[in-house]
Amino acid sequence: MITQEKYRSKAKKLLADGSVKMVIGYSPGSTADRRRPLFVRSFEEADQLVLDSNCIANLSGYLVTEGLLSDEKRVAIFLRPEGIRSLNILAAESQLNVDQIIIFGFDSIGREVSSLSGEHAGEFSELISSIKENPPEKSSEPLLYQIEQMNPQERFAFWKEEFSRCIKCYACRQSCPMCYCRRCIVDSNQPQWVNTSSHTLGNFEWNIVRAFHLAGRCVGCGNCDRSCPVNIPLRLINARMAAEVLESFDHFAGMSTTQEPVLASFKKEDSETFIL
Amino acid sequence: MSETFEPKIIAFVCTYCTYAGADLAGTSRLKYAPNVRIIRLPCTGRISPMFILKALQKGADGILISGCHPGDCHFTHGNYHARRRWMVFRSLLDFMGISPERVKFSWISAAEGGKFADLINNVTEDIRKLGPFDQYKELIMETEAPATL
Repeated sequence: MITQEKYRSKAKKLLADGSVKMVIGYSPGSTADRRRPLFVRSFEEADQLVLDSNCIANLSGYLVTEGLLSDEKRVAIFLRPEGIRSLNILAAESQLNVDQIIIFGFDSIGREVSSLSGEHAGEFSELISSIKENPPEKSSEPLLYQIEQMNPQERFAFWKEEFSRCIKCYACRQSCPMCYCRRCIVDSNQPQWVNTSSHTLGNFEWNIVRAFHLAGRCVGCGNCDRSCPVNIPLRLINARMAAEVLESFDHFAGMSTTQEPVLASFKKEDSETFIL
Repeated sequence: MSETFEPKIIAFVCTYCTYAGADLAGTSRLKYAPNVRIIRLPCTGRISPMFILKALQKGADGILISGCHPGDCHFTHGNYHARRRWMVFRSLLDFMGISPERVKFSWISAAEGGKFADLINNVTEDIRKLGPFDQYKELIMETEAPATL
């Protein structure tokens, strides 16, 4: 509550003196434990902002909305540590200018919300390094461990079962801050790489392609996983990819605004044990 | 009499090294398994993961990707980029249940005609042992089946 009041008054101040044109935050959602994104443009609306432990969506994807930042005015946004990491990636991939972004950083343990100190992307590097050094316990994701223990046939059967439910609504893509391509590969029809009907084959291909495009970029905010209407555990695939780039290339997504994308860089001494 | 399974293998090769190596195998009259369909590309860096998925979608049982040794790339570092990409893509396929045994990678230079012939023979044998990729073929069949209402 204290944090909510603190950020409300900060939002009012910034909007009143014109130093930001918009504050992107949360408002009450359709049920008691849901929160909906809120785009505050004026001083009066700032009282609708809500901040509590139910504010879990990563809002950073709204920053790349076409035209939002093109007038070079500044925007403030509520971000959790993962959100700050995805902001770093967007900046590293030249999708936005971080100088235009004021961060209202927060995190929560249980129901307790605390604010993060700093308001510019560069000020959170220590926090992000500490997240890299202290990864979450493996036991927090028992299903991931379970899948890794299966043989390829069992794994294939597991994902076949999961993907057979996919209806290709692309909610995972729409909710993902990293999926900003104007034209997604799945929308390309000359050549058509991915079957667009929701056969399991096309669902497999779509989810593999999306996971590959997120390798080394996903920060694990869980937007895709939560938005999936048929509850496919998409976070597991992305978590596996994040673990892979960390192990193989010591790459932790979103460390800084100048971090080189992992698949657009290389080292001569990269591992090649799998090459015949 | 049961026929032995003849796998379909798609090889994506770079034109400067492995394709020239395959050419050398041919001009040296080396005999190798006829199961491989070679697709020539400018560089291993040009090979998109989509190509692998497309090959599987069209019924391939195995895939081979081959290019210049590190340091020999005609475009100076295309194969370094490719190597990173395959490291990640390979583990992704593995996690999705597409056995990494079916997707092979190698470096073959223009001078290694013998290595090319041996590699094709070995890969063909390995894939033959794995058998047809039935799990994936079931999915392909599903897309071809008439719609049920």
